[in-house]
Amino acid sequence: MKRFFKGRSGELAARWADLRFALYLMRRNPLVLVGSALSIFFIVLALVANLIVDPALADQFKFAQSYGWNNPLFSWGPGTASLGGKEVFYLGTDGYGRDLLKMIILAIPLDIGLAFFITLSAAAFGITIGALAGYAGGVIDEAVLRITDIFFAFPGLLLALVFAAVFGRTITNLAFAVLLVWWPTYVRLMRGQVLAEKEKTYVEALKALGAGHFRTLFRHIIPNSIYPILVQMTLDLGGVILTFSALMFLGFSPSPALPELGNLASDGIAHVFTAPWLIFFPGLTILIIALAFNLLGDGLRDVLDPRLRR
Amino acid sequence: MNDQANENETVLEIRNLKVNFHTYRGEVKALNGVDLKLRTKEVLALVGESGCGKSVTVQTLIGLLPENAFVLEGEMILNGKDLLKNTKEEMRVLRSHTLAIVFQDPMTFLNPVLTIGTQLEEVFTLQKDLLAEATTIEKSKRELKFADFIKRESFETPHKNVKASRREIKKVTKKLCADILSLVKLPDPERILKQYPFELSGGMRQRAMIAMALARRPSIFIADEITTALDVTIQAQILHLLKELRDKIDASTLMITHDLSVAAETADRIAVMYGGNVVEVTFTPDLFKKPLHPYTQMLLNAIPNIAKPTDRLESIPGTVPEMINPPFGCRFHPRCKYAMDVCTKERPKLEEVEKGHEVACYLY
Amino acid sequence: MVKFYQYIIRRLILMIFVLFGVSLIVFYLGRGFPSAFDPLAQYITPKMPPAVREQIIKEHGFDQPLAVQYFFWIRDVFNGNWGFSNWANGLPVTEVFFSRFPYTVELSIAAVILTFVIGLPLGIISALRNNKLPDHISRIIALTGYSTPAYWFGYLLQLVFFYYFALWGLPSLPSRGAISDALIGTVPAVTGIPVLDGLIAGNLNYAGDAFVHLILPAFSLAFISLGYLARIVRASMLEVLRQDYITMARSKGLKERVVIYRHALKNALIPAATLTGLFFAGLLGGALITEFVFSWPGVGRVSLLAVYQGDSNFLLLYSLTTAAIIVLANLIVDVLYVFLDPRIKY
Repeated sequence: MKRFFKGRSGELAARWADLRFALYLMRRNPLVLVGSALSIFFIVLALVANLIVDPALADQFKFAQSYGWNNPLFSWGPGTASLGGKEVFYLGTDGYGRDLLKMIILAIPLDIGLAFFITLSAAAFGITIGALAGYAGGVIDEAVLRITDIFFAFPGLLLALVFAAVFGRTITNLAFAVLLVWWPTYVRLMRGQVLAEKEKTYVEALKALGAGHFRTLFRHIIPNSIYPILVQMTLDLGGVILTFSALMFLGFSPSPALPELGNLASDGIAHVFTAPWLIFFPGLTILIIALAFNLLGDGLRDVLDPRLRR
Repeated sequence: MNDQANENETVLEIRNLKVNFHTYRGEVKALNGVDLKLRTKEVLALVGESGCGKSVTVQTLIGLLPENAFVLEGEMILNGKDLLKNTKEEMRVLRSHTLAIVFQDPMTFLNPVLTIGTQLEEVFTLQKDLLAEATTIEKSKRELKFADFIKRESFETPHKNVKASRREIKKVTKKLCADILSLVKLPDPERILKQYPFELSGGMRQRAMIAMALARRPSIFIADEITTALDVTIQAQILHLLKELRDKIDASTLMITHDLSVAAETADRIAVMYGGNVVEVTFTPDLFKKPLHPYTQMLLNAIPNIAKPTDRLESIPGTVPEMINPPFGCRFHPRCKYAMDVCTKERPKLEEVEKGHEVACYLY
Repeated sequence: MVKFYQYIIRRLILMIFVLFGVSLIVFYLGRGFPSAFDPLAQYITPKMPPAVREQIIKEHGFDQPLAVQYFFWIRDVFNGNWGFSNWANGLPVTEVFFSRFPYTVELSIAAVILTFVIGLPLGIISALRNNKLPDHISRIIALTGYSTPAYWFGYLLQLVFFYYFALWGLPSLPSRGAISDALIGTVPAVTGIPVLDGLIAGNLNYAGDAFVHLILPAFSLAFISLGYLARIVRASMLEVLRQDYITMARSKGLKERVVIYRHALKNALIPAATLTGLFFAGLLGGALITEFVFSWPGVGRVSLLAVYQGDSNFLLLYSLTTAAIIVLANLIVDVLYVFLDPRIKY
């Protein structure tokens, strides 16, 4: 451990100063603070959700009380069914008679977990390929560029839809489908960064010192290019949730009763006016989650802008 | 605004100007009590290293300080009025016809997507009285030359009474633009007006910028390191141009540079700045013959002398003071070999020691 | 100049390559895996006698390995034969697609106009009042839009402006379709775009009805992307305002308004304009979810049905058309850059 730090004290000090400056900038921006707080809240909630709400509730169907609302604080209008009984459903009940609030809480670990998994995989995959393409240049670079061109030409959801339709509705397939849509962005991003870094004089210096290609790439170039990638990843967390919840909304979930935000909302399509809470609350949750990550990512982007550093 | 300008009259006086900047790392005390006098029709060079406060002085003068800057105390008196007390709008009006500045790098200071013509015309558009007079001249079929306007302080035709159509004004403006471009020795002005900045060479762009400054018929012409970004041959051309124009215009010139040789060639007087203060001001020949301030002396020693080849170049020991916690008292004292006790206590004021020669040092 | 044309030709060749790539992927996905839907069904009607069936199978290469089938398919496409969509009353795939396309075009145009009209000022204000309250507010609006699930906002709009408005006795906006049922077919379809057709025919009632139907779905689409546009405009404005030539413009004594509109905006708008172009191209691909939510008879909604029904030829036509549009749009945008920014030369 000591040997790791020996000789790196300058580098560490510089990065520490960077971090402190970044935190200073972030403190000055209230929206970023809100975003960070919300993001942390949801991550924590994802971790403890199964402890707060009994997961078994997801399988308990009580059709007698489906599509009902009995929250005294708010009324949705004449078309909605009122529930009697002692139990108050703060967000109403869904098509299976389950408490929507509890289902939403149960859905959060799945949604957040999937978001992280897909984003990290797409990023890891894209970064590696992008870095190699940018560094190697030549034929490899051309080939990679053409392949990403093809993927970029697909309109939004279509590729994921077709993939999911062909390979069946499992969560892994869904995750892979969404990954297919997101990975090219990282390839391009990383490639751009590597191309820019490659021209810098320190790379030439490294070569003169005899550093091998892999060492140059992984120990120097990639860490220096990481900031825009981090920003992109944070922003993508929100985008990925929107994408796969949209897929589930369109009917690609493995099971219609699965507690997942998009899936819960799809239940409400036929009941837009008679049970609007079914679409409203799960959708609102997705909105807040995506907003949290977008606020954070947006703030990070401002903070990590190299030109703002003095 | 006097027609009969007295050679020794002070046009601009800066007294004890103190300007600070709020930054993440602390308060930067950029200007520490700057004293400066600019006289009518003279060329005053403001010389100093990077970070000594030359640009900040200029920014304060034209009223374009960045948002995190503020003036602690001091006065800037132009024609009897303290500029620091002006509103933003008043400063803007002043910039449109009294204060003109030419910047360092003509590539970045010209808008790449607008033609030279557009960028020059807009300067004229701000001077309604000038345009009114020009239109009158044009209508009476007399020849329209920009040079005629430079010396005039007020015009015969009050601009409210002139009725001119847009087309006439445009025509007059274009003529003035072409004329002023030939004044700065740019060939084929008609074509240049239609070109974009990137189509011109560095020297030509700088001339265009000078034209834009002249178009304002300024009382104070500020040249902020205008030759720094140019190579030596072009530098010489531009300086030559300035010398020629000098006789034609009424303005006083404030020339900012870090290059003593440029100052030597063009300036009547030189003011040396260090660490946010003016430390010495005198006539150009006197500065080189008899530098009084230790900093000036070391500066001149550091210039290699082609007549006396040596092995080592002399440099000034120490480094430029960092402005967040500058040295107390005289800011040069850590590097000064004559430093006395009093130098650490209080900043020396700029005082006239000999005829026309001012120094801020306790040695005198 | 020659280099410029060379560049364009290179890009067009690239486009053909991309189209091949896209078609390969969709073809493989569509026919290469066992699914509930037989791709053969697109070329056969139930009434055909077995002999004719055999002939068709041979004609379109269904008895050959997948790789060879691909070339049969290409030949068919060049002959204009995309087969039939059995789920859509057996209409030819091309007809199903192109009859719906104008509706998507109409919606896209409306959405782009709204996005630009709202997003641009929002971005400019954000930049000018950087880090002050208007900036924060516009940032929240922008990011909220960007984070909103498309279906959520769409249904919310319907709930409020269609359902509740009616309940409260207010004039309500239609929530489905591009034109009221009663008016369908009352105007000759010249362009296929309802508002335009109505105007051409001089039938203001029709045009007005079509326009009113556009409001909710276009706004739903615009809300999501105007935020993104505003952020881009803000970022590029801030970037431009930092430049030296802005200081120069101010030093000339120009009014701040002139500095912003004449000097800053022109530079800052370049990325915004190109982004809008690309966004429009993307929209033309059919905003699947919005069309679904509003029952908009456009290409996106139909493609959803095609996915459900396993209509691989339709999906091929759809993805190829949209891919071509996107690639062309990118090319046009890159070319436009040459004209917008005098510094760029080829």
